[in-house]
Amino acid sequence: MDTVIGIKTRLMREYYRYFSKYAKGKVPEEPVAWVTAFTPVEILKALGISYYYPESYAAVIAASEKEQEYIKESEKRNLSRDCCSYSCCFNGSLLLEEGPRGVPPKPDVLIATNNQCNTLPAWWNTLADEYDVPLIVLDYPGESCDRAEAASYVKKQHEMLTEAMEKLSGRRLDEEELLRLVNNSERSVEAWNLLISNLKTKDISPTTLFDDINFLITARCNEDTAKLYDMMDKECGTLEDADPLSIPVFWLGYPLWYHADRYLKELMDGLRITGSNYITWWSLDYSGEDVYEKLFNAYNYTFLNLLQKSRDKRLHKLIEDSGAKGAIVLHNKSCKCDFVSARNVGLPQAELDTDMIDREYLNLEKAKLQIELLKETICRG
Amino acid sequence: MKILSMSGFIPEHISDTIRFTQYGGDRNISNYCGYASDFISRVMADDTIDGAVYPKSCDSTRILTSYLSECNKFLFQFGIPPYNVSGAKEHLACEIKAYKEAVEAHYGVRIDDIKERAEFINKRNEALRKTYEELDSLSYSDYMEKLHEMLEKPLAMQEWSGDIRKREKTGKRVYVVGSFLSDTRLAKIIEDASLTVAGDDLPESGRLVYSEPVETEGDIYLNIAGSILSMRPSPTQVSFKKTMDHDFESIRKKDVRGIIFLTQKYCEPYDYLYSVFSKEADKAGIPAVQIKVNGTEDTGKAALALEAFADMI
Repeated sequence: MDTVIGIKTRLMREYYRYFSKYAKGKVPEEPVAWVTAFTPVEILKALGISYYYPESYAAVIAASEKEQEYIKESEKRNLSRDCCSYSCCFNGSLLLEEGPRGVPPKPDVLIATNNQCNTLPAWWNTLADEYDVPLIVLDYPGESCDRAEAASYVKKQHEMLTEAMEKLSGRRLDEEELLRLVNNSERSVEAWNLLISNLKTKDISPTTLFDDINFLITARCNEDTAKLYDMMDKECGTLEDADPLSIPVFWLGYPLWYHADRYLKELMDGLRITGSNYITWWSLDYSGEDVYEKLFNAYNYTFLNLLQKSRDKRLHKLIEDSGAKGAIVLHNKSCKCDFVSARNVGLPQAELDTDMIDREYLNLEKAKLQIELLKETICRG
Repeated sequence: MKILSMSGFIPEHISDTIRFTQYGGDRNISNYCGYASDFISRVMADDTIDGAVYPKSCDSTRILTSYLSECNKFLFQFGIPPYNVSGAKEHLACEIKAYKEAVEAHYGVRIDDIKERAEFINKRNEALRKTYEELDSLSYSDYMEKLHEMLEKPLAMQEWSGDIRKREKTGKRVYVVGSFLSDTRLAKIIEDASLTVAGDDLPESGRLVYSEPVETEGDIYLNIAGSILSMRPSPTQVSFKKTMDHDFESIRKKDVRGIIFLTQKYCEPYDYLYSVFSKEADKAGIPAVQIKVNGTEDTGKAALALEAFADMI
């Protein structure tokens, strides 16, 4: 019988089996793609292509406290520390050919999207240079142009991606299989949304959610993912209610991957995270009449690809639902696109200069004072 | 109509814009491109400016609208398709048309001279190209200053005379790579270090002059889009291989001895490009130096670095 631990182990084992530490020299039989976090992976999965997420692996590296060594290695090869730390950390690991789980299997193709930022396609170019393999960049205009025009433009690119992946895999795309996988993703999102709604009322650790969103990123179209989140949600029902005396706050920004708790737990005495925007970023909307419309809606309207007005609307709803009285806002050196997310939040905030990977960007003493001040402001208000 | 524009992707064929060069703004956003931040400052603070048009081509420009939305001026952002993306030309053509309609609606004007403007731009670029091809015998600083001066004027006043001060060639031929040269003092510093600029791929210079002329017959929006996309790819179009193919072809043809890579701090497209570009330069045996500046009125430590670089090559 499946258990939460059992499914997690299975998903992790499947994902990491060809990483150099575990592969024992074996290489994947199917073609390998390295993809960005908002790539329409359903198309790849339907064609039997394995995919890996360099960003996620950078988070794993930081959690294992190796990021400084790898960032320095990248710097030696002229990749500026000003660049996204995910890239500096991951590329350093490749250069040294080491990492907590080794390095991922070499790519046959690189796929980058610009629906979260423009940095990723640039980073992917450095990988294309290193491995000399084809690079496919997908352009998602977001809300910056007419919806029908955007839909047709994105559809063309999804079709082009399909064609390229068919050539790579030597298979023909089965649209029914693609639809089945898209439906799996949709189910994973539904189950995840239900699970994270417990954060407001139950004594659930934000660390669990920051870590376990990883399955929604790396295995969203796998049936196991929805099953896992359903089971976790049921388990939440048995947890105690959250301490009613603690102050509810919203965590606005990335988890701090290098931190054992992924957030500044040690500075948050008396505060409780009741909501976070990061954990909703992969709650993609797969609605649509046909499979290409579903993919368009899901991948064109990701949170970081929205205009300020839509972001504000989405954030206000999240914050309202969380009941938060204040926000801890992270000004993340690596993610300019997230700089403006909190512009119109309308809550007392502690804005901390951070980086999600590079621990050296956080001034802990300053952060402590800022969070204390936030607490005082909320209590006085 | 005083629209401040940022980037060579903005179609001058639609309406006059003032090309942003520099501004001494006090806005300072940490870990953010100084050029973009000075652009924000000028749009917000300069009352003579009533609009802004800019691309969505890097992470700093992506969020410009969020910063500018409070200024209540005309704002338009262009999505710039990555190099060779399926449907890019049609998509950009739609954006150009939407821009034209937005200008008409906001300013209450009717734009019906796109073809004439396109013809004017074709001629101007041809004249620019002739000057560019003699770059190594001209004063690079004089060329850049006159170029910037011209780009700030309304299109009808952008006659390019090509009257640039001559300069004795030195044996230290260099190629300049980078984003818009906001501070033309940098060009002077390059010359003062006895270097001769034989070519560049700056958006206002080498990239602009080699764009294909706009066909004036047929769908004008598609034709403008085609011309814009025919420019040597910028790193913001994320095909570093293509960008470097063009650059290294010019570098070989122009027989240069060094490469100057001029960028803004926190300009990630060029930071990423530099990491692969420097490798390629190493392979080709051509020394490269990266000069980073902070904002539009900064020459950083360029003089020292370029003097040392000149000695080396």
